[in-house]
Amino acid sequence: MTPETSSPIKAKPPVAQIEQELEQKAFKLSEWMAQQGIFLFTAVLVLFALVFIDGFASLPNLTDVFNRAAPIGIVAAGMTFVVISGNYLDLSVVAQVATAAVVLIAVTNAVGLVPAILFAILIALVYGIVNGIAVGGFKANAVIVTLSTTFIGLGILRWLTGGSIYFGDSDGPIRTFGTTRIGPLPLAMILFIVVTLLLSLVLTRTNFGFMVRAYGSNREATRLAGVNTPLVVIGAFTMSALGAMLGGFVLAAFSNTAVSAMSTGYDFRALAAIIVGCTSVFGGRGSVMRTLLGVVFVSVLTNIMVLSGLGFGFQQMAIGLLIVLAVSVDALARKTRVS
Amino acid sequence: MSEELRSPSTEQGTPAARTPIIEARGIVKRFGGAVAVDDVSIAVEPGEIHGLVGENGAGKSTLMRVLAGVLAPNDGSVWVDGHQLDPGNTREALDAGVSLVHQELSLVPEMTVAENILLGSTPTRAGFIDARRQRQVAAEALEEIGVTVDLDEPIARLSVALRQFVEIARAIARKPRVLILDEPTATLTPAETEYLLDMLKRLASRGLAILYISHRIPEIFAICDRVTVLRDGSLVTSEGIGDLTPQSVVEHMVGRDLQLDLESRRLNPDIGEPVLSARGVKAPGVNDIDLDVRAGEIVGLGGLVGAGRTELVRAMIGADPRSGGEMTITLGGTPRRITGYRAAIAAGTAYIPEERRSDGLALTMTVVDNIALPNRSALSRSFVLQRRRIAEFATALAEAVNLRPPEIEREVGQYSGGNQQKVVLAKWLGRKPDVIVLDEPTRGVDVGAKVEIHRLIRELADEGAAVLVVSSDLPELLELSDTIHVVRDGRIVGVLPGAEADETAVMALASGQQEVDVA
Repeated sequence: MTPETSSPIKAKPPVAQIEQELEQKAFKLSEWMAQQGIFLFTAVLVLFALVFIDGFASLPNLTDVFNRAAPIGIVAAGMTFVVISGNYLDLSVVAQVATAAVVLIAVTNAVGLVPAILFAILIALVYGIVNGIAVGGFKANAVIVTLSTTFIGLGILRWLTGGSIYFGDSDGPIRTFGTTRIGPLPLAMILFIVVTLLLSLVLTRTNFGFMVRAYGSNREATRLAGVNTPLVVIGAFTMSALGAMLGGFVLAAFSNTAVSAMSTGYDFRALAAIIVGCTSVFGGRGSVMRTLLGVVFVSVLTNIMVLSGLGFGFQQMAIGLLIVLAVSVDALARKTRVS
Repeated sequence: MSEELRSPSTEQGTPAARTPIIEARGIVKRFGGAVAVDDVSIAVEPGEIHGLVGENGAGKSTLMRVLAGVLAPNDGSVWVDGHQLDPGNTREALDAGVSLVHQELSLVPEMTVAENILLGSTPTRAGFIDARRQRQVAAEALEEIGVTVDLDEPIARLSVALRQFVEIARAIARKPRVLILDEPTATLTPAETEYLLDMLKRLASRGLAILYISHRIPEIFAICDRVTVLRDGSLVTSEGIGDLTPQSVVEHMVGRDLQLDLESRRLNPDIGEPVLSARGVKAPGVNDIDLDVRAGEIVGLGGLVGAGRTELVRAMIGADPRSGGEMTITLGGTPRRITGYRAAIAAGTAYIPEERRSDGLALTMTVVDNIALPNRSALSRSFVLQRRRIAEFATALAEAVNLRPPEIEREVGQYSGGNQQKVVLAKWLGRKPDVIVLDEPTRGVDVGAKVEIHRLIRELADEGAAVLVVSSDLPELLELSDTIHVVRDGRIVGVLPGAEADETAVMALASGQQEVDVA
């Protein structure tokens, strides 16, 4: 090897080469669908429902659809942090939603509303920290950890409650929250939108949210940038836990009752909204606002099926199908990006 | 560009004595609006080693992927032995005898050498893996390239260099007639490189046609019979090696007259007190190392790949755990003990890792996000990121490192290697680091970007930073370093003042021919 030839050259590349520097990727349908598809699909679905589905285009039906979507929407908004951090999902929301609902009603009945909320927040923090330490600190698999904490959480709840149903005071604050409307809009729906906007700002505008996105995009590069990465993961799981707690509150307020079995399927339904909203399960890509769109899409689709007289079994199948489709598109898009 | 370059290449007028085994005719490959390869024709005869050179983004790798059927061209055709290949059909290209050795290693770390060599063509008997045949074919392929390695060793336990050779054995096991190698020496030491080049010559002498892509001009001149130069996707020239000089090849590549910068060493560096000090640092692959880097000094770490240089610098700054020893960073007369990586960063360290794609950058994020990542605290007020300040900050840094084009809202993954490395540097420059550790700062980077990265490194040292550089590129090490420490088997085996060091001295120490007592 002679030194001359590998020595640097004092010159700047010509303009023509500069243009070549940026790799121009061909338009890829899968990539477009994985990133922008949700906007089109939601618009098409809503338009379809407005035109063809009897009973969809009424204000009571629409507010009802979004009001009912509130608990799952809030859970999904929080869980979006976990998915974007590249840790797949937080299955323990099932236990968390039920626990928050039971705590809200049972502790309010026994002690009062404020202690109930404080206690629920404490429980949410414990969930966030335990999940976060296991996944972010010990690098355990998020699916298995949160599946296990679901068992632990539901186990404790059933053990302590014996599976009994708790009823709220028939004119207490919980009941009031569940039934109050501001103009035509139910309070729960407004809370859903406010929480979504707030979490969206946290993800996009704060130092913490930025680190969550960076960690999801490349863990090692983020660690080597000097970020305390276990703390980021704990933070992401805590956001998920707080979302699940609020979702549990809203769910309890709807019926003014709480029982340990009330949140079955919340893990999967939240994940459905997130994935249909085009947040990548590989981490790094997505947003809370997209999750909101995913919630809208899934809710409208479910409403269409209900109004068309299709039963629960059919709905379940359709949502399952939708997810397989969405994650496949996500994976396909990733493949074309990487190659 | 001189006149002779435009004249037709020497062999075009005469009818070919031998017919090419592989021929590409008028290949055009576009990605979206950009033309990556523009009407390029290339032919290789049996027994010929054909060099393909050009700067990053010139279209070399794209052209090779078209030849190997990995990509379908927009126009043009590939012919092997007079038969036109189905465009973009990897299987058919393989069956026709075209084997591509990938630039990035594509082995399965958990599987053994034999399993990897036969990966994709694992022999079976009655549906079960025929392990004996597998070992036999693998052993033959390794023997053909003259490499000895345990067939049952998992790939994960091999050095990077051995993995590269296993990768080549894998291509050879398919009994190819055309072998395409894309930067095979990027991770090899000079001795390993020499071995590889000899091996390729031997393979060619047995009639194999070889297409060889490299940034390293001396390698091209060491083995190639013919050289094709690409620039901006177009063929600039294709000439016999006898009609070219290293200087003319580089001129063809960059398309401009250039001065080779032979004496770019810093002449009178202003060197101060030790800033980064290692005492008895121990870690896996690192044996009890003492090392000082002084303010304003560029210390180069030379040695063979696998000597423990990366492990050493990572243990020093706490990126990987240490099993013993102490690290201090002394600024303004106050020594601070470095207990972990984040403490090192907080004390003013910047670390540019060896693997920029996996460790240095979040490829799916934008340039501005990547630059903001280590600087996020300075750029946020009570936890909220100040987006306008971040954009201004990133713009200024993109300009300082000469990112081109300076589109900070682009995803980093869309930039070429050289530009990506500039973004990694930009991330850290914003923190005005007092200690900067760079591991292979210009690997896989084109010549233009290399000059700029060297300039930035010298500027940092001129401003008083303590700079530690790991480099397997000897000329780079010699050009940059004020002091060279040579590492072998996890120990420092020699310290050479930069002005006195030459390639022979460094290599003698690195390979163990000579040992200098370290004070």
